[in-house]
Amino acid sequence: MEINSLKFILFVAVVIIAYIITPKKYKWVTLLLSSYIFYWLNSNQLIIFMLITTLSIYLLSLLLGKIDKRLELEIKDKEKEEKKKLKEKAKTKKKLVVLIALIINLGILGVIKYFNFFSGNINTLLNLFNLNIQIPSMQFILPLGISYYTLQGLSYVIDVYRQKIDPDKNLGRVALFLAFFPQIVEGPIGRYKELATKLYEPHKIEFQNIKSGSLLVLWGFFQKMVIADRLAILVDTVFGNYTQYSGLIIICAILFYTFQIYADFAGCINIVRGVAEIFGITLAENFKRPFFSKSVQEFWRRWNITLGTWLKEYVFYSVAFSKWYLHLTTKLKEKLKKHAHLSKTILALCPLFFVWFSNGLWHGASWKYIFYGMYYFVIMSIGMLLEPVFKKTINFLKININSKKYKIWQMLRTFILVNIGMLIFRATNISSAFTILKSMFNFSNFGEILNGKMLSLGLDKGEFTIVIISLIIMLIVDFLQEKNYHVREEIGKRNVLIRWTIYYVGIFSIIIFGIYGKDYNPSSFIYGQF
Amino acid sequence: MEKLIEILKKYNADVDYYTNEHLIDEELLDSFDIISIVADIDNEFDVEITAKDIIPENFNSAEKLYDLIKRLS
Repeated sequence: MEINSLKFILFVAVVIIAYIITPKKYKWVTLLLSSYIFYWLNSNQLIIFMLITTLSIYLLSLLLGKIDKRLELEIKDKEKEEKKKLKEKAKTKKKLVVLIALIINLGILGVIKYFNFFSGNINTLLNLFNLNIQIPSMQFILPLGISYYTLQGLSYVIDVYRQKIDPDKNLGRVALFLAFFPQIVEGPIGRYKELATKLYEPHKIEFQNIKSGSLLVLWGFFQKMVIADRLAILVDTVFGNYTQYSGLIIICAILFYTFQIYADFAGCINIVRGVAEIFGITLAENFKRPFFSKSVQEFWRRWNITLGTWLKEYVFYSVAFSKWYLHLTTKLKEKLKKHAHLSKTILALCPLFFVWFSNGLWHGASWKYIFYGMYYFVIMSIGMLLEPVFKKTINFLKININSKKYKIWQMLRTFILVNIGMLIFRATNISSAFTILKSMFNFSNFGEILNGKMLSLGLDKGEFTIVIISLIIMLIVDFLQEKNYHVREEIGKRNVLIRWTIYYVGIFSIIIFGIYGKDYNPSSFIYGQF
Repeated sequence: MEKLIEILKKYNADVDYYTNEHLIDEELLDSFDIISIVADIDNEFDVEITAKDIIPENFNSAEKLYDLIKRLS
């Protein structure tokens, strides 16, 4: 059941009714049961993997809490040295428990999502050494949302390990935190502290929330069905036969893909957040107008925010503040005493490498995705290493970095770099990404644009007009939000006539201009496959 | 406290660490500085600051950071 389908809307309507009629005390049960039914309808018996994750992180977190409690009692009235010893002992035990949680959950994810990737690479290595052993490949069906709920589950258990939160004795609350039905598809990746209680507490279904949430759902449908699915037609044509195209057509396809993936992913998140809002639940924001970013770093603080925060919190911090790394920090600083900037950059790069490697690998089991992560790592590394040179150049050229022109240049530069990243992301593999990148600069067939070849890529004149107008609408909405204009609130304040005109225009534009697949089957979301 | 201020001065000498309470919020120290500061504190005060302590509230002022060191020692 795709969340951009009529079936999903009907499912949500039924859950809303069930939620309203359920007594306050058991409203969370309705949400949990609905979430499990939704999961079953999508993944059938593969629900077993989510249940294993739920039970494992629930039990292991309780165990972590027990170790902490016991330590608290044991160190009472003890001497400093004795205290230190007991703390070390407890820490070792806790590390073991969290390691078990990591092995179970990353193990499941690793086998289901990455087995063939790893076995394929091992086989290549074995072949290189002329060893006649082959690991057979296996076909696994990816359970719905496994990459998302695994990260949520791990964040919970690690937060308990770090004593940022107490372990929850209520299995139902932990289960709902992992399974909440709109969120399980593509995130946003929630944090236990911010989300679990919100989901568990009973909420009154308010008319205001229905109105506001539905408008967000409508906007998500518009982004997905009118923009993303329409852009996909041209993108698929060009990327599917990339050797036949060059120059402006390639540039156009890359640009379209960047907007497609944004409308697709942000559209899905808007549907998810809108549905949650109807239940009175505010989910974390996952996008903040990414195309207004002035640097690649800023782009990643605005794009897939919850994944970025997760990687910062659990990969970057875990490496950067580990004992061995702090030891290395001290040593390196000693050695590079006279080169403060260099030592700071090198120290930052090591944990960043792990972040970008994980980012790439999380997106998919192929070298292409790892290369995608490394692309951002290299850009950021160059940016950090050359920062003093950039500063000197800016001073030398007397550029006013606060001027509008300079900011627009920064946004444009970031947008170009992001588009190259998207090209890698969309290409079938690394070598095709390079071929496409090269052919982008081949303008020998420039005349094709004028002789109508652009209109033979799946989108006719009318379709092009729709897509351009829709993109302009989307960018205007982004621009208004960037200027702190709350679009939905403002629509809500207008009189009945204007408000309902907007609602009807929205609904009918989706019905009329939405792209429907074969037999009216809705298309999948790009990020749903991760 | 003096020892701590000396450490912080190495990373941004232009800040008045006695009064400023927004070192992170105002981006006067970034997360890469924090790595080095934590390593320095580890050496100077013999306390172990771990990932769980890396929250803006603990690093927004010298006083808050000093409180953290006292709590951990």
